[in-house]
Parts: sequence; C-alpha cells; structure tokens
Amino acid sequence: MAQRTMWRDFAKGLWAENPVSRQLLGMCSTLAITNAVINGLAMGLAVGFVLICSSGLISLIRKLIPSQVRIASYIVIIAAFVTIADRFMAAFFPPLSKALGPYVPLIVVNCIILGRAEAFASKNPLGRSLIDALGMSAGYILALVVLSSIRELLGNGTLLGRKVLGAGFEPWTIMLLPPGAFLTLGLLIGAAYQIERRVRRRRAR
Amino acid sequence: MSLSTRLAVVLTMVGLISAALLVGVNLATRDRIAANKQKEIDEAITKVVPGSRVSEKIYEEKGFTLYAGKDEGEKLLGYAISAATGGFQDQILFIVGTNAELTRLNSLYILDQKETPGLGAKITDRNAFLRFWEGKDIRQRLMLRKPPVGMDELGPTEINTITGATVSSESVLAGVNGALEKTKRLKREGKLPVKE
Amino acid sequence: MNLLLIFIGSVLINNFVLHYFLGICPFLGVSKKIKAAFSMGVAVTFVLVLTAVASWAINHWILIPYDLQYLQIVAFILVIASLVQFVEMFVRKTSPPLYQAMGIYLPLITVNCAIMGLALLASLKEYDFAETVVFGVGAGAGFTLAIVLMAAIREQLELADVPEAFKGAGIALVVAGIMALAFLGFSGMIK
Repeated sequence: MAQRTMWRDFAKGLWAENPVSRQLLGMCSTLAITNAVINGLAMGLAVGFVLICSSGLISLIRKLIPSQVRIASYIVIIAAFVTIADRFMAAFFPPLSKALGPYVPLIVVNCIILGRAEAFASKNPLGRSLIDALGMSAGYILALVVLSSIRELLGNGTLLGRKVLGAGFEPWTIMLLPPGAFLTLGLLIGAAYQIERRVRRRRAR
Repeated sequence: MSLSTRLAVVLTMVGLISAALLVGVNLATRDRIAANKQKEIDEAITKVVPGSRVSEKIYEEKGFTLYAGKDEGEKLLGYAISAATGGFQDQILFIVGTNAELTRLNSLYILDQKETPGLGAKITDRNAFLRFWEGKDIRQRLMLRKPPVGMDELGPTEINTITGATVSSESVLAGVNGALEKTKRLKREGKLPVKE
Repeated sequence: MNLLLIFIGSVLINNFVLHYFLGICPFLGVSKKIKAAFSMGVAVTFVLVLTAVASWAINHWILIPYDLQYLQIVAFILVIASLVQFVEMFVRKTSPPLYQAMGIYLPLITVNCAIMGLALLASLKEYDFAETVVFGVGAGAGFTLAIVLMAAIREQLELADVPEAFKGAGIALVVAGIMALAFLGFSGMIK
C-alpha cells in the first residue's frame, strides 16, 4: 500500500474531515461530557474502541452481507461493541463510568460510527478501513481534548484535576454547564472554519 | 439459496455471534460490577456508622434504603439510611448515619449530585456544609440557620446554610428530615427486625 | 402531581436538547424554517412516545425478569430501528399527505440520540409505566419547543450579517448556548 495513501487515510480524520469540527457528527456526547479533560479522554477512547473494532469487523465481512440488511447488521455489531465498552468501564473504572453516565451507551447512535461503516468500511479492505477508523478516532479525541481543556480550565481552573490557574482565579462556572458547552463548541467550529479559509486562500495564491 | 433466505440467515448469524460475544462479556464483568457497587455502599456505611463491620439491608423502597450497621458481635451500632431527594438541578443521593437509638446523627455524606458547580455542589464539601451535621440531635426535626454562624453558635438541631446555595441546602435538609422521619415511623410500627 | 412535575421538568428544567444534549443533529440540521422544525418536532414526539412504551415493556417484561440487562443497548436500538421502519411504512400507506409533511424525517430519527437517550434515561431513573410515557411526551414537547425557537431565531438570522466562518453550525451553536443560558433560569422551579 502506498505510504502516501496510508497517511492520507489517517490524517484526513484529524483536520480535513474531522468528525466534530467538519462533519458535525457525534455532538451529543461531545457537548455532554467535555466538562473535564479526563472525561473527554475516556469518552474519546471509548468511541475509538467501538469505531476501530466495528469498522474492522464490518470491513472483514463486508462481502458476506447483502445490502438490504446491512444497516441492521451494522447496528447490531456496533451495539455489541458499545456494550463491551460500557461493561468494561463499569467493571474497571467505576468513577469514570459514573461520570460519563448514559452517554457511553449513547455511542451506539453516534453518527460517526455508523457513518464510517456506511461510507468507508463497507466498501474498503481491512487495512484501509482500520487506518480510516484510527484517523477518525484520533480526530475525535483531539476535538474532545481541546474542548474539554478549555471548559475545565476556564470553568474550574484545573486541568486533569490539577490546579493550573492559581488561587486568584475566579472560575467561570458557566463553562461547566450546558451554555458553556454550546458556546465553546460554536466558537471552536467558527475558528476552525476561519483557519480553513485562510489556508485555502493562501494556497490559491 | 433465495434472497430472502439469505437475508434471514445473515441476520441470524450476525445476531447469534453478537449475542455470544455479549454473553461472554457479561460473564467476565458481571461479578466485578456487582462487587464495585457493593464496595461503594459498604464504604459509605462504614463512614456513617463508625465501627460497623457488618451491614444488613433491612428495608428498601424506591428512593429509600435502610441498613443496620453492626459490629462483629452482631450488636447494633447504628443505622445508615441512603435516600434520594430532588435538588436544584436533579436528584441528590445521600447517606446519613445515626446511633442505634435514633437520637443522634453521626454524619452525612452526599453520594451523587448534579448541582451547580461551585455553588450547590458545595453540599459535598465537609468544611462548607457536612461538618455542621455531625452529632446533631435528631429527636426533633433539623433546621437550617441563615445567615451562617460560627460552629459553636449553632443549636443542637441547626445546620448552616451554604451562602449562594439556599435551594440545594434546603433540598438536603428536606431529604434528611424525611428519611429520619420514615425510619422513626418504621421503628414505631415495629418494622425494624433488628435485635438491639 | 408527580406526573405533571416530570412533564414540566422535561420541557423546561431538564430540556432534552438544552440540558441533556440529546437530539442535536436534527436540532441543528432541521431548524432553518419554522414549519420544517415543527414537523420534525411532531415526528420526534410521536416516535418518543412509542419508544417510551416499547422500551419500558422490553425492560420490565424481558430484560429484568431474565437478568438480561447487559443486552439493554442492543435490545433498545433494535426496537427503535424497527419502530421507525414500521411507522414510516404505516404513514406512507395510510396518509400520503402526512408522509409528505414529515415522513422524510423518519429515517433520520433512528440515529437521533434523543430516542435512545429517552429509553436509557427512563430505565436509569427507574420510572414506572405512566412516568415513562409522560417523560416521553415531555421530552418530545421540550424538543419541539427548542427546535421551533431555534428555527424562529434562525429565520431572523438569515437577514443578519453573520461572519462567514460562523455561518451555519457555528452561529447555531452560539445561539443554542444563549438559549441554554436562558433555560437555566428555570432551574429550581420544582423543589
């Protein structure tokens, strides 16, 4: 496989087709649990697990599934992996499982996963599908970490639970609440588009 | 094989394999998850009924669970009551410990809450809220003191309100009073099957 | 009385979109015109109520009695997907004009977090049957309220001078943030 195709398959998930800032997918989880970096990381890893496993499996059996039942089959497979992730977390990381609450089961309706299965894994060989899934996961984790860093830093003065902004900082509690989530994500998406436009304009010259 | 048969077979296979996978995962994690839950409760009971080594669930209904804390000799040391109450944002889950005669409150801990961070969420803070509950006289209803005063000025049934979190404080008060009332009523009705 | 509190709670205090972050995709995607937004809201409410009934039944007649809670995610999503299929077929056969108005939104609803979220939350809160149904109605009403308000604001925004980078999702999210801020004022309404 050409090195360039491999890199491109991976890297597009990070920026050009970033699931959060570009494709606007999976926002329910993104907004709900990004009030602390550790939560964002945990959710990102959980989504990554489900995405990679389901894309891998679906790519593996893609020729065996007739098109009429493919959505139903994909949903069952994805739901199975989500259950595995949910149970694993509840068993080995109870405080994280509690913090993320019903949003881990909600990964099953996270459009990113079904979207990638439909758009890529069902039409591409195993190797490429895995790399695509890896890239999308990395992009998703990146978006979650950026978002949750901003929210935790401004809303709590901490990062990963450790005080960063000193005692004099009066936390903007609103950042930890729903309005803060919406506003931060909106501003981030706006910023991402703006950067994209600048880059495109410079390239066109 | 006709198309519909093929569809049915594929779907069934996918279903069966997924089900097998899930059954396996369940077996691997079920005990661990149950143990985690039990550990959380046991730790909470030991905190609010000091010295208890054995806990026994004596009554349970939706939003209210009553445990007896006993030492190794099966002697009743006190009661631990875990209950839920409606808070400012969502439900507040707490556990409160009393002595065996139901006359004194040992301590109070908040198990789960979704109150406003930095304000209502202070109900989980020992310094800001929880320490005022320790040792209170629960033969009558507890009350909130507003504005808050020094620890020594509080009466035997008074707890300081958290400044800026009146609703959350009042919710916890209502929840604890209600839980204690219910426990006393159960005792009067002889529904507590514990030898003292 | 409790049922009324659950209803008001889901519409105003714990609004499904502005508090639980459920149903964001349609909230952002279908909220450009009030009429479309309202149709989406009605379709979602309809599916929500059906899901409330179905998920409660599955939970209490199959999953809990046979100790199969770990199958909850798979069971719920399959039920929801099937429900939506049936509703779409039913509406298409019985009422073509209705299908024209809201049928096209139905396939989108399967992956609407709000539907799965309702089933999961009702199960988590251990609501009984009546409470689950009222919760579903309230969730739908809250969703419809949020999406119609958003559409009304966005129709106005069409005439405003929004910075290029923010057009579409960016400004919609900022507006949602301000709406969420306003709805925060409803907290503590029920004690």
